Amino acid sequence: MKFTSVFTGAALVLAMIGGPALAEYPERTIESVLPSGAGPAMSVSQIIADAMGKELGVPLTVLATPGAGGIKAFQTALSKPADGYTIIDGYVAPLVLQPILGKADWSYGDFIPLHAAASNAFAIGWRTDETRWSSFEEMMAWGKANPGKLRYSSGQRNNLPHLVMAKALQSYDVVAQNVPYDSPPAANNDVKSGILDFTFVNVGSYKQDPDALKIGLVLSEQPAAKEAFGGAPSIADIDADLGISGLAPMGWDWWLVKKDTPPERVETLRAAMGKVMVDPDVRAKITRLGFVPLDWDHSDYDKIVSGVHDQLSTMADAIKWEEEALKAAK
Amino acid sequence: MLLDGLGLVTSFSTVTLVGAGLIVGLIVGALPGLGPLMGIILLLPYAITFPPVQAMGFLIAIYVGGSCGGAISAILLRIPGTPLAAATLFDGYPMAQKGRAADAIGIAIAASALGGVFGGLILILFSPSLAAFAAGFGPPEYAMLAITGLTSIAAVSGHSMLKGLIAGTAGLLLATAGTDEFTAAERFTFGLFELSNGFSIVAIVVGLFAISEMSHLLTGDDLLDRPKLSTARPGFGTVLLVLRRWPNLIRSSTIGACVGALPGAGGVISSFTAYAVAKTFSKSDERYGEGAEGGIVAAESANNATAGGALVPTLALGIPGDAATAVLIGALLILGVFPGPTLFEQHSDIVGGVFLVYMLANIALFVIGILVTPLFVHVLRLRKVVLIPTVLLMCAIGTYAVSSSIFDLWVMFAFGLVGLVLRAGGYPLAPLVIGVILGPLLENNVRRTLLLSHDGLSIFIERPVSATLLFINIALLLCVVFFTMRRLIAGRHSDLSQEDT
Amino acid sequence: MTSWFVLGRRFSEWCAIALMLVLVALVYQQVRDVLEPSGMAEGGPYDNAAAYPRGVAMLLLGLVCLQIVLQIVVRGRSGGDTLTWHQLVRPAAVIVTFGLYLGLLGILGFHLASAPMLFAIMVTCGSRQWWKMAVISLGISLGFAWFFESQLDVVLPGGIFNLNIPW
Repeated sequence: MKFTSVFTGAALVLAMIGGPALAEYPERTIESVLPSGAGPAMSVSQIIADAMGKELGVPLTVLATPGAGGIKAFQTALSKPADGYTIIDGYVAPLVLQPILGKADWSYGDFIPLHAAASNAFAIGWRTDETRWSSFEEMMAWGKANPGKLRYSSGQRNNLPHLVMAKALQSYDVVAQNVPYDSPPAANNDVKSGILDFTFVNVGSYKQDPDALKIGLVLSEQPAAKEAFGGAPSIADIDADLGISGLAPMGWDWWLVKKDTPPERVETLRAAMGKVMVDPDVRAKITRLGFVPLDWDHSDYDKIVSGVHDQLSTMADAIKWEEEALKAAK
Repeated sequence: MLLDGLGLVTSFSTVTLVGAGLIVGLIVGALPGLGPLMGIILLLPYAITFPPVQAMGFLIAIYVGGSCGGAISAILLRIPGTPLAAATLFDGYPMAQKGRAADAIGIAIAASALGGVFGGLILILFSPSLAAFAAGFGPPEYAMLAITGLTSIAAVSGHSMLKGLIAGTAGLLLATAGTDEFTAAERFTFGLFELSNGFSIVAIVVGLFAISEMSHLLTGDDLLDRPKLSTARPGFGTVLLVLRRWPNLIRSSTIGACVGALPGAGGVISSFTAYAVAKTFSKSDERYGEGAEGGIVAAESANNATAGGALVPTLALGIPGDAATAVLIGALLILGVFPGPTLFEQHSDIVGGVFLVYMLANIALFVIGILVTPLFVHVLRLRKVVLIPTVLLMCAIGTYAVSSSIFDLWVMFAFGLVGLVLRAGGYPLAPLVIGVILGPLLENNVRRTLLLSHDGLSIFIERPVSATLLFINIALLLCVVFFTMRRLIAGRHSDLSQEDT
Repeated sequence: MTSWFVLGRRFSEWCAIALMLVLVALVYQQVRDVLEPSGMAEGGPYDNAAAYPRGVAMLLLGLVCLQIVLQIVVRGRSGGDTLTWHQLVRPAAVIVTFGLYLGLLGILGFHLASAPMLFAIMVTCGSRQWWKMAVISLGISLGFAWFFESQLDVVLPGGIFNLNIPW
């Protein structure tokens, strides 16, 4: 008697837990692993996740997992089962740049793309009352006359802004010291107070306080990027050819899932994200943050990402060049 | 500006959301592991379905409630629900053991609310000057501030100063694990990607305190008995207990608000510093560390004032004061509001509204806090046979939820064993937490300073604020050395190797 | 009050010293075997990942040496009640159970592992009211799961069976 009821109880519990496994996907919370902490990028992901969750009928949460230039987030996501309940928010740094730098052993081809999400441009900014120069070219002239004296920040070392800024400096043969900061606002603050000479500015922090810094150079040749930074000069306006174009000098993300995810689940996710990315409300919210919603669906993934991969590969030596030039300057 | 916001705040739905946010905040704060930051992150999707001021009211209430909720588990269970409450433990737990758990929680809540209100007043009155004060803080100043925070180890170590310093230094060392920000090299990660962002501080704190405390309870013979602890209801009168200590309250809240105004410094520095200062200024009949009301007042008013202070850079500059306010900024961005100087010009109603919901949240914290305290105190009536496994499960699930990581649970477990050994050896645990939290602030800012400086270490004395802080630090260190020597000479047999249990 | 923490204080003090020495040794070993070969232990603040931890480890070593001297020179007053080893069995058993639980969490998942853990610890605590314990274990485990999964949208460990309750 006693044992029968134990078994009945156990069976009931198992039925309750195991039963829905046969139900239709998705039936529980889906997680999107974001390779950064709180900030404008997280807000964009949150906007997309929210709309997608409504589309799918289950909560879709953003799991902020900063660390090791985004590698931790990717490895965290890869350690979870390929069941469509984990989405990888594939930012360019961990997806393309880290493998190029030899810090990660995957390639962009190892993932199944859902849809492109959003891009955001970077710019170089300096203090508004700067007297030593008034344009990027003048700053480069100053830097050339004072080798190793310029101090700048790209946020983290070896990240995408670092690569692009090192490349720009290399084109002018200017040696400057990168000073890593864990939070971009702290770097902005130190530029304003004058102990840092210039810093990278992402479009999100520009939108928050457009007058905080003078935007000296938008690191993208695209008109939309220039416009997002209030019409500041861009790399299309300077003489030097930096050899960067399109998405290569920008931050962008593509939502991905693990390779062995069941195709019908991939299709469900793709359909939901495709719908969300054309939703005018979602696009307006993303645009308001200074980000540009992207239209590419999964079929464009290989072409677009391989293009960026090739450009970034040729730029990767700029950081090496900077390191050696700094050592020589000392 | 405030009047502009009044209309947005006085609606029924805003008040309801603030109340709901507070209850959620108190719960996530009290659960070991989750804290105000996780509370905000987890409920962000829900919050952004409301208009800006209501959404902020909800999230700020979670922030305020969560900053205070950790005190409840610190007082009742000797486990800080959040690292913020680690300093509340010193006097809160002994007070509860003396049968004054409800009073202790009442004081913690009243001090939090008053500290929060005070922080809010500072926020409203001195927002521009605090913002200017914060703008002058660069890497050299942060490095000096980290050292100031570390000197509080001396004050919180009781008679076991040397052991406290050892624990604190070990904390600094543990904080170096993870990706080095400057070289991008992985340090002391042993090839584990889970360690690439260092140890989870939450896992360290929960492990250190919870496992050693549960083991301690397990040695008793009263596991199956219903505890005979008398648990009086806390009254609204606890506010008088706090107000009686007004110099302490004002001093600690000021420390809290100033630290909060500095982006990146945070509530742990302020609560420990305020505790150390309060202890130094205390009358001789108050025995800090054995259940002094002043200890709770200092720690709790400081950390909630920090929450108010942290809103200064958040709103005025658009710079997050800490991780939780970074998420608040994220929520504002999603709602289409850009915090920063332009917000004051273009949306003064929203700025005013946010200030007011913050004040409202603190007042509501007091009322709701006092009303729900009996529910929390009920924990003390649980038989230990139920309490112990429940707490362990709570710690596991709360630590896991922070980053959905089973690895973090093993970190918690390992630090539980470390906590056992240290506690058995008479080492205070709080300094280790201080070390782990201040470690990155110290290392990164020293290295950043050296990179920025064109002529080495002299930058520390060339900048006035940094030089002042340097001077204060030297004075503090001399004080510590002086008092230790005096006690050594007076005591003859060394108090250094003995601690007060 | 803190009886068993006083038990074998001198022994425990040496354990803590050993722990600190292991920490210092690990730092030096990692610097020598990992950071030095990859060139991360030389140069200025931008290139040297090892200088700061090495400095802190040195400081720790100094403090520990001081503590060792004190422990040898100053004969500690042994105070407090003593406890038998027998009384340590229970905490040890609970810690092992909890460790086992964490190990099983990844395999069985939260829903299958939690209630048995709660049950086992209650048994260790000496309770023998089987039905009551079973109900309490299941209730607590489901209660927490409900709060976290349905109210906070946290995905609890599903284990190899991917068991998650769609609330």
